[in-house]
Amino acid sequence: MAEQHDVRQFLLFVFVLLIPCFALWTVASGPLAIPALGFSNMVLTHWFPDVVNALYVDGNKALLMTEFGEKNGNLVPLAGAEYRLGFQVNTRILTYSLPFYTALHFATQKKEYFQSYVWGLLILYPLLTIGLICLCLKELMVSLGTHFFSQQGVYVPDANLIGILYQFSVLIVPTLAPAIIWVWQNKDAPLLRSALRQRKQ
Amino acid sequence: MARFVTIFVVILVTLFTVEMLVPVQEHVIIPFTSMLARLSAALILPFDPSVIAYGKVLQFKDTGFAVSIEAGCNGVEATIVLIAAVVAFPAGWGARCIAIGLGFLAIQVMNIARIISLFYLGNWNMEFFEWIHLYLWPALIMLDVLIVFILYLRYLTDSNPPAEPAVG
Repeated sequence: MAEQHDVRQFLLFVFVLLIPCFALWTVASGPLAIPALGFSNMVLTHWFPDVVNALYVDGNKALLMTEFGEKNGNLVPLAGAEYRLGFQVNTRILTYSLPFYTALHFATQKKEYFQSYVWGLLILYPLLTIGLICLCLKELMVSLGTHFFSQQGVYVPDANLIGILYQFSVLIVPTLAPAIIWVWQNKDAPLLRSALRQRKQ
Repeated sequence: MARFVTIFVVILVTLFTVEMLVPVQEHVIIPFTSMLARLSAALILPFDPSVIAYGKVLQFKDTGFAVSIEAGCNGVEATIVLIAAVVAFPAGWGARCIAIGLGFLAIQVMNIARIISLFYLGNWNMEFFEWIHLYLWPALIMLDVLIVFILYLRYLTDSNPPAEPAVG
């Protein structure tokens, strides 16, 4: 009975915490994405120096600026273009893992909260960075097409691989990663301990 | 734990890649998604005659607002995560199959609630629709998977209580 009570209490606390956590994240999602954007910018500009100019925060979204422009409706190198071509990237479809993890973490009864929370975030941010790179790869693939795939001397992943990585990063990782981190960090908490005890023996 | 994680990741990536294959999408995922749309419409119609369904689309006759249920909105990914977790955890195949079957039902009940709620939310306010569709509901569906998995672990513990330590 006490174990069922644990689950009910956990669920109740998660629901109570989800709304304020998501509300705070909605307001702060732009700044929260900055660390992941910074690393993604470094990776993309070094990986594709002739294609990617910069990736930076633009309000609640990000802007992926390219080394291409447009002239009379055609994609052309920047030198012959009227303006630089950029694409908006919705970082929120990845960063909502942060409020989800926060709600799971603080809804669980345990002795220590802060240190394990910081560790959880330190694991989530590299995953956000990888997800953001996959998002940008998909954007470049769809928007630039052959210009992206025909770069000289640069490894460009296969279109199918980019597609699967993008889908995996958007559909699976943002919800699964917080859940896995939560299970890992709380395997000794009362909520999971009794369920996992038998298997450890 | 390392064994669990390895098996979990292998099954997850394999099933997810299989799900993305064009023949699987054509013959399994799209028909299943259309069935979800029809089921959602069948649940709504007795209460709201202004709704019609065709293919994987639900639409209001009066306002014209429609939602199309696409890959990622059919609960298949959540089911894949559950299957990977249940299969990776050591247990008998009977218990695993029951957990996957009941878990699939639990996910789909939540998913139909998601589809219907989003359909009405979208007709009312698109900003709310986008926010709840893209961010809140996916988290709730994964929470559903997590709870099913915890209850499954509890069931395993209750049906096979840990052996008492030997005395003497």
